[in-house]
Amino acid sequence: MPPFADSRPPLNELHQNKPDPSSNIVSIDVGGQLFQTTKQTLTLAGPKSLFSKISHSSDHQYAIPFIDRDPEFFSILLSLLRTGHLPSKAKAFDLEDLISEAQFYGIENLLLNSHSNPSQFEAFNLEKSLVLPLNGRDSPSAISTTQFGSLHVAHGSKITSFDWSLRKKSTILTQFTAVDSLLALSSKIAAAGATDYSGLQVIDLDKGFVRETLNWENVTRSSSTVQAIGSSPQYLFTSFESGRRNSNSIMVYDLQDSFRPVTEIGHSEIFGANLDSAIPATKLSWVSSHNLLMASGSHSGPSGVLGNIKFWDIRSGTVVWELKEKVDCFADVTVSDNLSAIFKVGVNSGEVFFTDLRNIGNANSWVCLGDARKVINGKKEGVGCKIESRGNQVFCSRGGDLELWSEVLIGSSRKGRDGLEERVFRKNLMGRVKDLGGSRITSLGFGGNKMFVTRKDQQSVEVWQSSVRGF
Amino acid sequence: MERNSDNALRTQPSDRIKLNVGGKLFETTVSTLRSGGPDSLLAALSNRPRQDLLSDPVFIDRDPEIFSVLLSLLRSNRLPSTSRRFTKQELADEASYYGIESQLKSAMLPSRLSGIDASVVATVRPASDGVVSAFAADDGSGSLWMAHGGQISAYDSNLTHAGTIRTHLDQITSIHRVRPEIAAVGSDTTSGLHFYSLSNGRHVGFADWTDPSDPRIYKARVTAIADSPDSVFSAFDCYHRENCVLVIDKSSLKISSEFARQSGNSSKTMVAGKLTYLPDSGVLVGSAVTSGAFGYSGYVRLWDPRSGTVVWETNEPGSGRSSRFGDSFADVDVDTDESTLFKVCSKSGDLAMADLRKLGEDPWVYLVDKNPSMRNTGGGSDSVIHCYRKQVFVGRDGGLEVWSRVQEREGNVERENKFHEGSYKRNYVDKVVDSERGVITKIEGGGDRLFVCREDSEGIEVWESSSFSGAVSIS
Repeated sequence: MPPFADSRPPLNELHQNKPDPSSNIVSIDVGGQLFQTTKQTLTLAGPKSLFSKISHSSDHQYAIPFIDRDPEFFSILLSLLRTGHLPSKAKAFDLEDLISEAQFYGIENLLLNSHSNPSQFEAFNLEKSLVLPLNGRDSPSAISTTQFGSLHVAHGSKITSFDWSLRKKSTILTQFTAVDSLLALSSKIAAAGATDYSGLQVIDLDKGFVRETLNWENVTRSSSTVQAIGSSPQYLFTSFESGRRNSNSIMVYDLQDSFRPVTEIGHSEIFGANLDSAIPATKLSWVSSHNLLMASGSHSGPSGVLGNIKFWDIRSGTVVWELKEKVDCFADVTVSDNLSAIFKVGVNSGEVFFTDLRNIGNANSWVCLGDARKVINGKKEGVGCKIESRGNQVFCSRGGDLELWSEVLIGSSRKGRDGLEERVFRKNLMGRVKDLGGSRITSLGFGGNKMFVTRKDQQSVEVWQSSVRGF
Repeated sequence: MERNSDNALRTQPSDRIKLNVGGKLFETTVSTLRSGGPDSLLAALSNRPRQDLLSDPVFIDRDPEIFSVLLSLLRSNRLPSTSRRFTKQELADEASYYGIESQLKSAMLPSRLSGIDASVVATVRPASDGVVSAFAADDGSGSLWMAHGGQISAYDSNLTHAGTIRTHLDQITSIHRVRPEIAAVGSDTTSGLHFYSLSNGRHVGFADWTDPSDPRIYKARVTAIADSPDSVFSAFDCYHRENCVLVIDKSSLKISSEFARQSGNSSKTMVAGKLTYLPDSGVLVGSAVTSGAFGYSGYVRLWDPRSGTVVWETNEPGSGRSSRFGDSFADVDVDTDESTLFKVCSKSGDLAMADLRKLGEDPWVYLVDKNPSMRNTGGGSDSVIHCYRKQVFVGRDGGLEVWSRVQEREGNVERENKFHEGSYKRNYVDKVVDSERGVITKIEGGGDRLFVCREDSEGIEVWESSSFSGAVSIS
């Protein structure tokens, strides 16, 4: 079936009002209904869309092009082209229909932009809006999102992928018993690893097979388990630990060059009681403003929890800064480019700390954002807390609740003891009263204009989102 | 020149056409209308003189709203969400009016059944005597016949009730589809294999096991039914436990031969409780299991139905060469797509597979799974097993689990790879709440649906996979 038939002039009355080729106005007949728009509007659809073909073909032909599709959907998509967002009458239709229709016209990206654009993320306006159920009895062990809000959820040995509209899903089976680290490389491809399975697998989530298995050759020639995965626009980082747990390393692979190993950083072997080098990185975050990789890991021993946060320069393979965590080590740590600061939750105090990236070389640069006296308490109030940053905000989970930390910009600020102005951070509890509590939060993810939350023993993913125009 | 004018008169696939359905004008192309098949009403409408196609729209006295749904289906090969305003029956009726049922059917079929991602979509409950005693699913269409309280209810591919007939049997314990409209039924309380026509409810034939030379062969009851393209196989059991398999010709519904006659005085010679015909090799697989004070015992036997000879057999316990002595099987099923035999062990609950092409002394490969969440699933007593779409579904008490294979690289998995102990992974299909509905008594797949029957509960659960995320909105 040709997508549109414009080879012959129509035999009806439309024939009379021939479009003037020099005019800017384009007429299109969709399923028997006549639409008029301008060439400018049609070019907004992009060069690959059906619309640009129509606007080109109307240059040298007198016939009004005919598209054999439902006119009602077309009128909505034309509004989308004109204004950049869906009209309110689109509520009467299912988003899935609109997506498939937009795919036909080749303008799905416009729909995506109007719907799930990361710029629409409003931290203060997030509400719990959807629950995505997962089949089977496994709770999510890891989640990963793409920029525009498609979501991959690992639960048990399966990975379920949701598209950006969260209307469609697909599930594949992996070789893992449980996936501990998951990183979406695109809406179809993800890197997955486990702490009890050797090798990092790059999995095609569409067809369900392993594209690539990346292994780290360690000295003991034992298996290499994956402790963390991270990425920059160019590289894929993987923190490996040997199966005997006596050596660890961070491998850097080239994302643009079919996962070619680029370099190995932070290789350490354990000799004797040197505990510090035994700690593999369990979180890898790329700090794009400084072109550094933040690698953090901690170890719980008889003398308490010890940890380190290292900032690696990939090119030279050296540590630029290192934070040794001996007192009130982090339970989780995150870095925010926008705020130019690192945030952690103390494992003993359970309080949130921050340190300015400009101040990082100084000793004990952590600033406690809560009750600093709790730092030395023997309890472990921060265990299980997650902290993630997104935009200008930091999200911290505490049991079943979520705290939202944001910076208050004060014009006349005093200088602190380290020469930098004092920064003010304040927290809020997220959600309405009925959303509070619930099972412990196990992971947080952000994609598009949404936040994803998984909880202990819940076979589902919560979606927090601010209301979108049109739907 | 003449040829040219002829061309100009004949309608072209890209020609536009107008239709007036119930007062509403629709405009589409000839090729769209013809995509429903050459014999459809819509294709016939497109075969009009070219000049009339747009200027003189044909009036069709039908509902325009349903037509717009069906037109969307023809244009895009998918049903729009507006189709949910209508029942499946309405859509099917309207599609058959326009002659595009096949298009609608393929758009409405559930997506390929994947045990790792399936959920209950419906429970089919008959109106009366709802506890189902036997059922048969049709793989081609996904339709279902269920026997309950001596009645047989038929459900079509949309799982809507197509009709119920009453048989003379009071308790049907086996049912099998032998022809599109003919069901073979048997009972463990009444003798004989009986054929009923589902279209008119008539008893159209029967088969009884008799032996002129042996008067004790009398009132034999049917325990299992299977069929090949031209014959029906049925296991018969006498009151004194003597048993056999009868071959019944499909067209005449008359007995053509008898084989596998045995005394029934030990568990090795019991009547088969399950029969499966393997179309690839023409072999009939029969299995029998009993459980008593000393545990489970039974056999799996492969017959060549033409000669009646035993091709291969194994007895558990008894043949002794099994590496799992004392852990005999609780249920057996055959994966006809893959020519593999699966058993579930009664004590350990382990699953084992055997290649039907390489059967020997001890062909079993015991599958290993390390899924820690499935460690405490208990033994295999009361287990039922069913192979469907290259996956193995196991019901253990109320829980439903699936063993599925990981695709290791692009394309098909090699066969050698299949027969190692770690090639299948085990997952739960259901949730804890599902398992509390009762002990699973039978699982059967058909038309990418999984039908699950539970003890003492009314109706049959239907499990399907879907690409729809099923997101629940909270407001």
